[in-house]
Amino acid sequence: MAELNKKSAKILVFSTEKISDPAIDMAGLLKLHYPPTVYTISIPCSSGIKPSWILYAYEKGFDGVFIAADGSDCVFGESCTEKTGHLVGKTHNLMKENGIEPARLRMAAICSVCSESFVKQMRTFNEYLLKTLHA
Amino acid sequence: MKKKKIGVYICHCGGNISDYVDVEKVRQSVEGEDIVFIAKTTMFACSDTNQRDMVDDIKANNLDGVIVASCSPKLHQLTFRNVSIRADLNKYTYVHANIREQASWAHSDNKMGATEKAIHLVKAAIAKARYADALETNKIKAKKAVAVIGAGVAGMKAAISLAEKNTEVILIEKEPFVGGRVAQWDSLSTTTETGKNMVKRLYSELTKHDNITILTNSEVIENKGSVGNISLKVKRTPRFIKASACHPDDLKRAIEVCPVEVPDEFNFRLSNRKAIYKNYPSEYPQIPVIDVKNCTRCGECEKVCKAVDFTEKEEILDVEVGSVLMATGFDSYTPEYGEFGYATSDNVITLPQFKRMIDTQFDKLTYNGKQIKNIAYIYCVGSRQTDGENTYCSRNCCTSTIHAAVTAKQKFADINNYHFNRGLRTYGKQEILYADSLRSGDIYLQSYEDGLPTVITEGKKTIVKINDILTNGREIEVEADLVVLVTGMVPRADNTIGSLFKIPKGRDKFYNEVHMKLRPVETVIDGITIAGACQGPKNIAESVNSALSAATKSYSILSKGELETDPLVATIDPEKCTWCGACEAACPFDAILKVEKDGKTIAEINNTVCKGCGMCAPVCDPDAVNLIACSSKEIMSMIDALV
Amino acid sequence: MENPIKNISYDALVIGAGIAGGEAALNLANTGFKVLLVDKELSVGGKMIMLSKVFPTLDCSACITTPKVSEISRHPNITIFTGSEVGEIKKISDHEFTAKVTKHPRYVRVEDCTACQLCEKACPQNVRDQYQFGLIGRKAAFIPFSICSPKAAAIDIDNCTLCGACEKVCPTNCIDFTQEVEVMDLHVKTVVIATGFDMFDAKKMPRYGYGQYKNVITALQMERELAPTRPFNTILRPGDGKVPDKIAYVLCVGSRDASVGNPICSQICCMYSIKQAQLLMGALPMADVTIYYINIRSFGKGFEEFYQQAKGMGVNFVKGKIGRISEKEGGNLLLRYEDINEGKLQEAEHDMVILSTGVLPNKGIDKFFVNETLALDPFSFVGQSDMLASPAKTSIEGVFVAGTATGPMDIPDSILSAGAASSEAISYLIQQA
Ligand SMILES: Cc1cc2nc3c(=O)[nH]c(=O)nc-3n(C[C@H](O)[C@H](O)[C@H](O)COP(=O)(O)OP(=O)(O)OC[C@H]3O[C@@H](n4cnc5c(N)ncnc54)[C@H](O)[C@@H]3O)c2cc1C
Ligand SMILES: Cc1cc2nc3c(=O)[nH]c(=O)nc-3n(C[C@H](O)[C@H](O)[C@H](O)COP(=O)(O)OP(=O)(O)OC[C@H]3O[C@@H](n4cnc5c(N)ncnc54)[C@H](O)[C@@H]3O)c2cc1C
Ligand code: SF4
Ligand code: SF4
Ligand code: SF4
Repeated sequence: MAELNKKSAKILVFSTEKISDPAIDMAGLLKLHYPPTVYTISIPCSSGIKPSWILYAYEKGFDGVFIAADGSDCVFGESCTEKTGHLVGKTHNLMKENGIEPARLRMAAICSVCSESFVKQMRTFNEYLLKTLHA
Repeated sequence: MKKKKIGVYICHCGGNISDYVDVEKVRQSVEGEDIVFIAKTTMFACSDTNQRDMVDDIKANNLDGVIVASCSPKLHQLTFRNVSIRADLNKYTYVHANIREQASWAHSDNKMGATEKAIHLVKAAIAKARYADALETNKIKAKKAVAVIGAGVAGMKAAISLAEKNTEVILIEKEPFVGGRVAQWDSLSTTTETGKNMVKRLYSELTKHDNITILTNSEVIENKGSVGNISLKVKRTPRFIKASACHPDDLKRAIEVCPVEVPDEFNFRLSNRKAIYKNYPSEYPQIPVIDVKNCTRCGECEKVCKAVDFTEKEEILDVEVGSVLMATGFDSYTPEYGEFGYATSDNVITLPQFKRMIDTQFDKLTYNGKQIKNIAYIYCVGSRQTDGENTYCSRNCCTSTIHAAVTAKQKFADINNYHFNRGLRTYGKQEILYADSLRSGDIYLQSYEDGLPTVITEGKKTIVKINDILTNGREIEVEADLVVLVTGMVPRADNTIGSLFKIPKGRDKFYNEVHMKLRPVETVIDGITIAGACQGPKNIAESVNSALSAATKSYSILSKGELETDPLVATIDPEKCTWCGACEAACPFDAILKVEKDGKTIAEINNTVCKGCGMCAPVCDPDAVNLIACSSKEIMSMIDALV
Repeated sequence: MENPIKNISYDALVIGAGIAGGEAALNLANTGFKVLLVDKELSVGGKMIMLSKVFPTLDCSACITTPKVSEISRHPNITIFTGSEVGEIKKISDHEFTAKVTKHPRYVRVEDCTACQLCEKACPQNVRDQYQFGLIGRKAAFIPFSICSPKAAAIDIDNCTLCGACEKVCPTNCIDFTQEVEVMDLHVKTVVIATGFDMFDAKKMPRYGYGQYKNVITALQMERELAPTRPFNTILRPGDGKVPDKIAYVLCVGSRDASVGNPICSQICCMYSIKQAQLLMGALPMADVTIYYINIRSFGKGFEEFYQQAKGMGVNFVKGKIGRISEKEGGNLLLRYEDINEGKLQEAEHDMVILSTGVLPNKGIDKFFVNETLALDPFSFVGQSDMLASPAKTSIEGVFVAGTATGPMDIPDSILSAGAASSEAISYLIQQA
């Protein structure tokens, strides 16, 4: 039981309906486990995330925010990668201004079958957050 | 605004959820929320009975919205939207919570954690439902035309089937000739018809339909729009030969005089061809072609053949369709340098090459001038790899190899076949072929999974060695005149077309369907279907089945001439908008217009063009842009519910 | 919709409402054609609705079948007759067939039944439950299974003593013993055959002891034990209700075996056995599962990976054909086999054996037709007149075939085959107009 009750970090994931959601669903199907305090909010495209949402999540108590980006698979076009990168950069700056450690926001491209990579990301992010925030 | 009344249904999924998530606890935790009027658990939310109950509940209590907490919305969003419709509730007031893939299954190792998460997920759905408005779908006119890309058996068959359904078809083939791989095979397994004849038969059917346009030597270079209205640009490379003026004797001479020789890909580089060429006499269309990449413009052919016309120009054609059917087929795996002696031993070739050899030779089978008697087939080359990326089985090669081996034995004298396999996969009725080959004396040797056969060259001799399972691990050696590497199917190396249409790939890198079991020809991109071997290894009959299925799906999208699209588009708050143009620049679809309203210059969204990606939202400094159903107030209230 | 009105003519008659027939009917209906879907069983859904999970995705079969089923049963262009049979199909002219459909009485008015199960409780007659493949019993008044469609009771008149107990308890008075066989004459323009497959009867191989040794069961029975709506709510061996911990699968039972009259490979049994083995390892983590095989046919998309995954989970794969099974005292079973890897005869004891029985054609399909001949293939599946270029065409123009009626195949292949049959049928209907 000790193992099960081990504290895990609260992570908010922004996932995308067509690309990263299927991968996250498949992680469940394959019973690839990750901390249950990882929550996803699904949106059409990762380039539509407002920095204000991310800041709001920290304000409300999330330890980390992860953007499961469409990457080059985005169904809305090539510019997605660049735009998502841009908004992450902008958010990092805002985080610094507000005294939030920028490393608490991560992003990686998660393709529609990247279940394992998603789970790996969640595990390492969780470990990182536990070490830096809850040590 | 009057307070909403919503119903929440939490699914057991027959244990898939309730074995790990305490669904009753979830129900209790949400029933007290202000807008929750009904909260129930159900064994199968998707069952007929529950759907009926939901309809009754909605009607009896005048609910304004419903939430189902069950499996992934990919599976059932449509089901429950339809429930809403049947209960006279706007389908966009329905909200889904995924507590199976993202709770019970993902956290089956931690029941408490899974339950806790499920509660939060349902609460977030309630937060979202609070703002979910009734919306009207957009109706758009759909073009009753389909672009079929690739004219292999799958593409040709799909084109015919669509044309029979009174749908206009543009069949786009990048090679100068139709037929794909099947044109390269003579004898086929399970039939007496040759591949070439099958291609001929399909081509003559294609040309019977005047609503099919065949574009050979053509490639799609641009893709715009979306389901219902897709605009493509197609680049057509000229053949440099006037069909009308083509005389067979002149042409033969033209081919003779052409000084350029390049490896013949049609013959899998076993031989060379000229820069002006045809692959085989009855090829379709029956017009030769000049291969511009290799032609030196020396003009020799022009001197002997009037049909040659170097003034023909490359064309860019505009093609407007409602749906695209992808049938671009496969490549055969190319072995690594030295893999089972490939390219390092004189006597090692691949299965496609072997097929061409037995089809093009008569009486005696020879290779490099030497008569072939003992043939060793090494199976699963480039498939079922334990150390490479191709972990999958190529499905069709066992049967094709046995068929080729049996054909060789029947056609040429003194052939001995040795099959170095990893467990034969002649599934279904193809088993008969395997039985026939055993009866004809073919020898089967099976390797251990961790001890694949080895090919050794000793002087001019090529020896294949194996520890054979079937004889209790004995080491067996066969001196082979020819080693045939049974190369599997791999996705086309050139995936420009896949990237152009953003078709997702699966773990095996073939195009991926939406649902492996139930929706094998649809993709996540609306209006784009996949058929034939581009979706995964298939034989001809399987390719044709998938082509016909894809044709039906493409047709059923367009048959009504009108499509409904989600109204989940961006909105502009005119109060906040200061027209800085940032959103206009961010929109990849030119859906944002600059308008004058009440004396103010603001941005406006063109609803029929907007695809709801939301790229315009984060770039707006005054925060005037929101996406319907993903607005800041919705997202933030979901965040509130999740922490 | 289950429609009591005998609309006398339809565009298409689809025979068999398994996944293939269902998909074909939906494709036709979605493109605007009126379809009559007929199944001899009391529910639509075919074999698939009875399965546990599906290879290689391990999706819950009920969960992915029920939405399809509900889409079919709600479609305004589809009329469903369950408990019905088709015969005397006659081709009158191009695009015109007549057919006789016999609807057997259910003795329950489907519209009124609420599936409350009170009749089931009241009924004193216990019989073998065909929908659980005999693992448990059911009553003569019964609801076929929990996710059946239509979800309504039925009276099994052959086993009913007419005691009237059910009638008395039924709160909606929907039990009606006066229902009679209805015979309808229909006009249709095209026919799709989707009558599915039959399973090899393991009793025909007495050396494996099926029907004689209680702990030897078939894979279809194991599907039920593993299903979410399973009869025992756990895995147990039928002999004594003990939870098994040394389980064996015998592959190719009744397949690839000319001596039982079926030389072909059944294409699905390797994979469904591997699937069940994985599910067993999940349900009974301490159990040993061994699969005795000749070749493993994991040829489809994701199959080889699924096979390797099973190996990784610890499922034992033994290459060897089982010669004979005998029962030991206490119900354990002794398997005698030639271990090909080891090259010698071996014996192994297991406490439960599952026979992975093969796929056979359903008999009598060709007898549906009276004035035309429906050709069968050498194995008695419905013959394909142009196997490669038009796999859904049969020897009769306007009659198409879908799914396992043409030969063994899994669910996605059945969907593709149904897609092909409906595509041809739609073209045939449009060309006529
Ligand atoms: C050695 C071997 C032997 C075989 N023998 C048999 C057999 O005996 N029986 C049997 O049933 N099956 C056999 N097969 C399988 C058979 O070849 C395939 O099932 C069939 O070719 C699949 O057809 P397809 O149309 O999907 O793909 P393909 O045949 O690959 O055709 C695809 C077409 O798309 C075109 N294309 C590709 N990219 C583009 C693009 N970007 N734009 C436009 N066009 C494009 C290609 O040029 C090609 O014409 C064999 C396969 C192999 C490798
Ligand atoms: C033990 C087992 C496990 C399996 N597991 C999997 C799996 O995990 N994944 C997978 O992909 N596949 C699996 N399969 C295969 C799958 O069941 C079949 O591919 C699929 O059910 C075929 O569908 P069908 O519609 O062709 O046939 P069926 O499901 O057999 O449906 C045929 C329908 O026709 C009806 N019918 C028959 N005759 C008549 C008649 N004369 N008049 C009216 N109606 C008639 C029947 O009642 C039935 O409803 C499994 C099969 C078995 C046996
Ligand atoms: S079909 Fe046969 S040869 Fe091809 S990969 Fe599969 S097992 Fe190997
Ligand atoms: S027949 Fe009557 S008693 Fe039986 S389930 Fe239906 S409603 Fe209930
Ligand atoms: S699928 Fe496997 S078990 Fe079934 S008949 Fe073929 S080889 Fe035997």
